[in-house]
Amino acid sequence: MASHWLLAVAFFSYLAASILYVAGFIGQRRLALAAAGAAGGQATGVGPGGTPAAGEFYWKAPGWAFALATLGTLAHAGGILARWQGAGHWPTANLYEFVGFMSFCSMVAFQVLYRLYRFPVLGALATPVTVALLAYSYVFPREVEPLIPQLRSHWLTLHVSFAALGEGFFAVAFAAALLYLLRTREAEKESRLAGLALESIFWFASTVLTFVVLAYLLRYVLGQEWAIVLDRGVARYHLPPIIGPEGSTPGQAGSLFGLPLPLVAVPGWIKGKNANTFLFAVALGTPVYYLLRRLLCRGLPFREALARLAQGLDADLLDEISYRAVAIGYPVFTLGALVFAMFWAKVAWGRYWFWDPKETWAFISWLIYSAYLHLRLTRGWEGRVSAWMAVIGFGAILFTLVGVNLLIVGLHSYAGGDL
Amino acid sequence: MALDRCPDCSATLPEDARYCPACGVPVAPDAPIRLRREEPSPWAQFLDAAWDFFASVRVAVVLIVLIALAAIGGTLVEQEGLYQDWRPPELYYPARYGPLLGRLLMATGLTHTYTSWWFLTLVYLLVISLIVCSLQRLVPLHRALQKPTVEKHLGFLLRQPVQARLPAQGADPLAPLAETLRRRGYRVWREGKGLHADRGRLGRYGPYIIHIGLIICALAAGAKALPGVDVTHDLWVENGQTVALPGTRLAIRNNRFIMETYPNGMPKLFQTQATLLEDGREVLHHNIEVNKPLVYGPWWGPWEIYQASWREEPGIAHLELVAGDRVLGKVDLDLKSPAREYQVTPEVRVVVERYFHDFDLDPATGQPVNRSREIANPVFLLRFVGPDGQEVGRQALNVAIQPGVEARSVAEGPYALRQIGISSRWYTGLRARRDLTVPYMYGGLGVVMVGMYITFFVFHRQIWALDLGTEVVLGARTNKDRWGLQQEVRRIARALGGELTVGNGVERSPGSTGA
Ligand code: HEM
Repeated sequence: MASHWLLAVAFFSYLAASILYVAGFIGQRRLALAAAGAAGGQATGVGPGGTPAAGEFYWKAPGWAFALATLGTLAHAGGILARWQGAGHWPTANLYEFVGFMSFCSMVAFQVLYRLYRFPVLGALATPVTVALLAYSYVFPREVEPLIPQLRSHWLTLHVSFAALGEGFFAVAFAAALLYLLRTREAEKESRLAGLALESIFWFASTVLTFVVLAYLLRYVLGQEWAIVLDRGVARYHLPPIIGPEGSTPGQAGSLFGLPLPLVAVPGWIKGKNANTFLFAVALGTPVYYLLRRLLCRGLPFREALARLAQGLDADLLDEISYRAVAIGYPVFTLGALVFAMFWAKVAWGRYWFWDPKETWAFISWLIYSAYLHLRLTRGWEGRVSAWMAVIGFGAILFTLVGVNLLIVGLHSYAGGDL
Repeated sequence: MALDRCPDCSATLPEDARYCPACGVPVAPDAPIRLRREEPSPWAQFLDAAWDFFASVRVAVVLIVLIALAAIGGTLVEQEGLYQDWRPPELYYPARYGPLLGRLLMATGLTHTYTSWWFLTLVYLLVISLIVCSLQRLVPLHRALQKPTVEKHLGFLLRQPVQARLPAQGADPLAPLAETLRRRGYRVWREGKGLHADRGRLGRYGPYIIHIGLIICALAAGAKALPGVDVTHDLWVENGQTVALPGTRLAIRNNRFIMETYPNGMPKLFQTQATLLEDGREVLHHNIEVNKPLVYGPWWGPWEIYQASWREEPGIAHLELVAGDRVLGKVDLDLKSPAREYQVTPEVRVVVERYFHDFDLDPATGQPVNRSREIANPVFLLRFVGPDGQEVGRQALNVAIQPGVEARSVAEGPYALRQIGISSRWYTGLRARRDLTVPYMYGGLGVVMVGMYITFFVFHRQIWALDLGTEVVLGARTNKDRWGLQQEVRRIARALGGELTVGNGVERSPGSTGA
């Protein structure tokens, strides 16, 4: 299918762009540090920037990266259109399509903000976020699914597309805020808690990476299966079921090294299987985090290593870009995630608001960004506090997107004769 | 009654500033000096304190955060009316969360978070805060925007985030600047040696438009609690039947319910081919589908009828009367409400002695009973009666309602009913709703979106210039998009032979202008 090819082109363009961005950015920093070191006559601990040719490469890399990112965005747009054509409905109907669409939106948001500010470093963060999202989308089944009657509505199309576009801007705001936090970090003044909080972002990223790889392996490589028979059906696990679904009894699925499986059963509102996978991702994510730290940062905490790179960036500009991204994303998100969602709920179910968990989490994310804007505008909270709120807001967005779907049992279930 | 930001220059203000420390504009609308003999009454004092409380954005943000936390709590506990279980809350929650926690959750209202008194209290406190806050600020803001101070002192200009210097040329050095600004769509004032220009003032009203929209939405949502404003009727309508809409002159007929599936078995379409009747007259035909409700009535409060559900029920058992191998006639028994008797042939009448739609034997008494209200295990106790009224036989018949299952029967005498088929009854589940708040809610949302557009995409840019004789100093600021303003000022300065001195990424010290 054409869309798969185009998406592959997009993926590899983004990947190449993010490598070029990061390499160029790091190279430039090293050159600058080396120059400063040479000028000041002090040892910086950073090797020489390399040959003049390499120096030229570092300065040119962001330009090529931007071209590649643009190519990727165009291919991605083509892929979405092709899938639309092929499936006969706007391709945001399942998690594979939606997460892929969101990665596209984060690229669109990046393009818009790049037009406004011409700040290449943003690419070094926005493209990896996009690559991660696109890679994550491949975890989900890729088949085109026919639409159940509830999903056949133009309001739904508008709702999902605008919500995702707003979220794309929030993703860029997050990227800029994170960079700001690294740039303005003062190692001596950092409290233990603040350090931990900042580092936990990287720990979380490692965990997500682990989760994605794990999910790939489960889907395509590992064949092992544990079955737990329940009254209402069979739950099939591809990982040892430490956390069982509601209604399972400990030890029901045998044991692993003397540990009864499952060890505990979750209450009914949590999806046991996903909670189990999560547990594994967290357990394995921590060693992966330390491994990456060793490989990428010579064993330093990520924040330490990256903060060194971020020195010399224009902090005020980062702050403004983050704010601007929120200021564009917020109205778009409001329109998509709240207003169009209400219109759709009204025609589909007869009521514009249900307080179902997904809806409520969208509302919560929106409240967080509202608080962000108010504190910034009326109390002059700029800088680090503001950046932290942009990070927290994006955390809520991610939870709304995947956490609610994966962990909390949805209330609009389509089982039985009821719609 | 302190503002948080100067209405004129947006500088952050200390709690009880009377004048803006940045630009000197009076910010507290000069507190009337009340020559009161007596102490203000406790009531007036209380009102003042309450007003101040609600006028604080800090309080508003705390409320927003509390509402967010409460909402999170509500997503972690299954909410009443949304859980999928037949048990009522008082049985369900103790079973689900354990007796102690279950009862605790119910007592605190966490099982219906979004209608609990404390959640609603928080929401209404926020609405009050929204109203007070907006009133408090809108008037001074409007005044400041209508009559800006044109001639500011140099110190003010040198505190602006974007600054430029222009050469002073000609008799009126400010004239070319004024001209350039006008061409760029600015509104320009001049006074003495000073010039002031602004563009996109509308953007400053944006937040208030948003807030008004939100107030409309909140009031609309609140009005749902009034009786008759938000009405729902769930209706089960059998194919071919008509059901009245309670409390109205309307009735709805289900001509046919159809369901389609995709080849893989997923549902594709649920459709009720419906006719709406008013006072018994047909007024509307509509195929009700998910996402395509039937709508009837005035735009401000129509009835809307939604496809909500469907049900298939064993409907009619098709039977034949046999004597030995001879088929004597046919009879259809209605499984919902069978007739008392059926005259199958002139010779034989079938009398329904007793009927159980869900047969079971009560373990305690050994008597036959119905186990549920559904037609799940229909059993007929029948009597056969001859032309002279004589009983000629009996039969206990257990009608088979699932494909592949045989009917079971015990008969006495020559006659028996033998099942040859069964047909279903189809019901469509319709939800009729009339919600008078919808137009207000949507109107409110529209106002919010317009306000958002204005707030985030109309930038208020303000420029001041002072003619110092040797040169013209220019200071500018904006409520959004400082970068864009800087680009614009740079272009203006270049066009007039000057240069940008302060802005993002420009490291020139502001003091160097030399007054
Ligand atoms: C969930 C409820 C609310 C939402 C969604 C909301 C939305 C907004 C938005 C979008 C802005 C513009 C922010 C910007 O330009 O960056 C704003 C500004 C503002 N809001 Fe709210 N608001 C809410 C509640 C409140 C409340 C309760 C108060 C009062 C206590 C309040 C007071 C203000 C003030 C004073 C401004 C600044 C106006 C200015 O200086 O131009 N807001 N609001």
